[in-house]
Amino acid sequence: MITMQLLIGIGAICGVSTVLAVIMVIADATIANYGEVKVRINEDKELVVPGGKPLLGSLMEQKIFIPSACGGRGSCGLCKVKVTSGAGEYLATELPWISEEEKKENIHLSCQLKVKKDIGIRIPERLFNVKEYAAEVVSLKDLTYDIKQVTMKLLDPMEIVFKAGQYIQFQVPEYELSKESVYRAYSVASQPSVKDSVELEIRLVPNGICTTYVFEHLKEGERITINGPYGEFFLRDSENEIVFIAGGSGMAPIKSILYDMREKGSKRKARYFFGARAVRDLFLVEEMKELEKDLENFSFIPALSEPEEKDNWTGETGLITDVLDRHLENGDGTEAYLCGSPGMIDASIKTLTKNGIPEELIYYDKFA
Amino acid sequence: MKQTVQLARIQEKMRPGIITRDGFIGTDRRNLIDILVEDDATVKRMDLTHDIIARRMIDLRDAGLGGLGNFISVTPHFEVRVDSVRGKLPCPFGDPGIFPKTNTTVNNLKTGQTITFTDLHIHMIGSHGFYEGKGSSFRLEPAELVSILEIEKPHD
Repeated sequence: MITMQLLIGIGAICGVSTVLAVIMVIADATIANYGEVKVRINEDKELVVPGGKPLLGSLMEQKIFIPSACGGRGSCGLCKVKVTSGAGEYLATELPWISEEEKKENIHLSCQLKVKKDIGIRIPERLFNVKEYAAEVVSLKDLTYDIKQVTMKLLDPMEIVFKAGQYIQFQVPEYELSKESVYRAYSVASQPSVKDSVELEIRLVPNGICTTYVFEHLKEGERITINGPYGEFFLRDSENEIVFIAGGSGMAPIKSILYDMREKGSKRKARYFFGARAVRDLFLVEEMKELEKDLENFSFIPALSEPEEKDNWTGETGLITDVLDRHLENGDGTEAYLCGSPGMIDASIKTLTKNGIPEELIYYDKFA
Repeated sequence: MKQTVQLARIQEKMRPGIITRDGFIGTDRRNLIDILVEDDATVKRMDLTHDIIARRMIDLRDAGLGGLGNFISVTPHFEVRVDSVRGKLPCPFGDPGIFPKTNTTVNNLKTGQTITFTDLHIHMIGSHGFYEGKGSSFRLEPAELVSILEIEKPHD
């Protein structure tokens, strides 16, 4: 009897606590009025924004875009900013992403940090070059059964300036899989000289919110929104020999870099190792063969890990790391650029360093 | 069954917009304890444990990693691909660490069925017996999972 009363008591307390917590969250989101607050950036610019909203969204409304791959859900950990004043305590949702060193530096996740009072932040100057673009989908093309090429004409602004290898964020509107619009990051596949449009290569991810939208809903003629450019993955200016390694949609930034090299008349020696399972997973092979003709020191080396009998494949076989290992002789004077899955990149780095390419000359864009 | 205070707190974290935009519960109106108990009973009826299921998922995921982002054949009649998307997720049960958004897709070539699971799924199943609530986009039905991955009780 006493036990039953105790359980009822605990249940009642638990229920009341839950209801109060929900009421507080709802009240904070709907009733609380923080008025206007100031965001001071780099001790230089000052913005006035409505209080109570996440910093990431507040900055976005002022056309300042902090890189974020998850659309502000606190699941990518990319949107970190240094807060110089007015931060307050860390939220539980931030803590998994913030190291002890970052805590000392007062680094916060801008998507989780709500601006309830005046705040000072420091962000890289290059982010002021990031813009939001209205665009129209002008072409959707299947490159393979699970990779689609999406080409968008820029409407406003009508031109983009970026470095070959960088990425943009694609805004997925509300639809059946997503109750609100979200952003996803994709490397630009077109070269920087093409300023009035942007080409992406997107691989279908099972249950992926953006890729499902692109594969099942996106139509030619549709208006969409992107922002960018972002990222530190671009060709370094040197005389070193280049090794490119990619798989799947990792083709995109490498293609952009190669087309840019062609336009600039690059004479650097470059080899491009592209890993796929079978012929049906290969794409843009003709374009790469054309590049071999136009770039005098460039060779394209596709490799199949499990070619099918019908493929009649006579090229390289095996995992891309095995093929790489067979081709690399001496890593002296060589730098490498990798784009693909974390597994592929980690395995490739091991092979590259084993062959004498120093880690500081290995640049990569991990899908993670 | 009576929900503990601790499970009630965890269930709050599973609501949409806390850890993930859509949450882990979907349209399921039951208490977390009832979701766990029902799935546990399903697994026991199949003479299996959550640990056995999670271990099979890990084995297939690890085999798939060998494909370096492409599908790879796995005996006897599976093909597996491990994809990653940018981002990581913490466990709603409050365990330490964050889990990369790694999707393992398994095609059972014998039955023609396909299933996709994440590293967080593996952890939640192995450590908590949690397959997500009904109506959640990422719910894994235990019976379907066992069927597609052909999970059997290990022979002694």
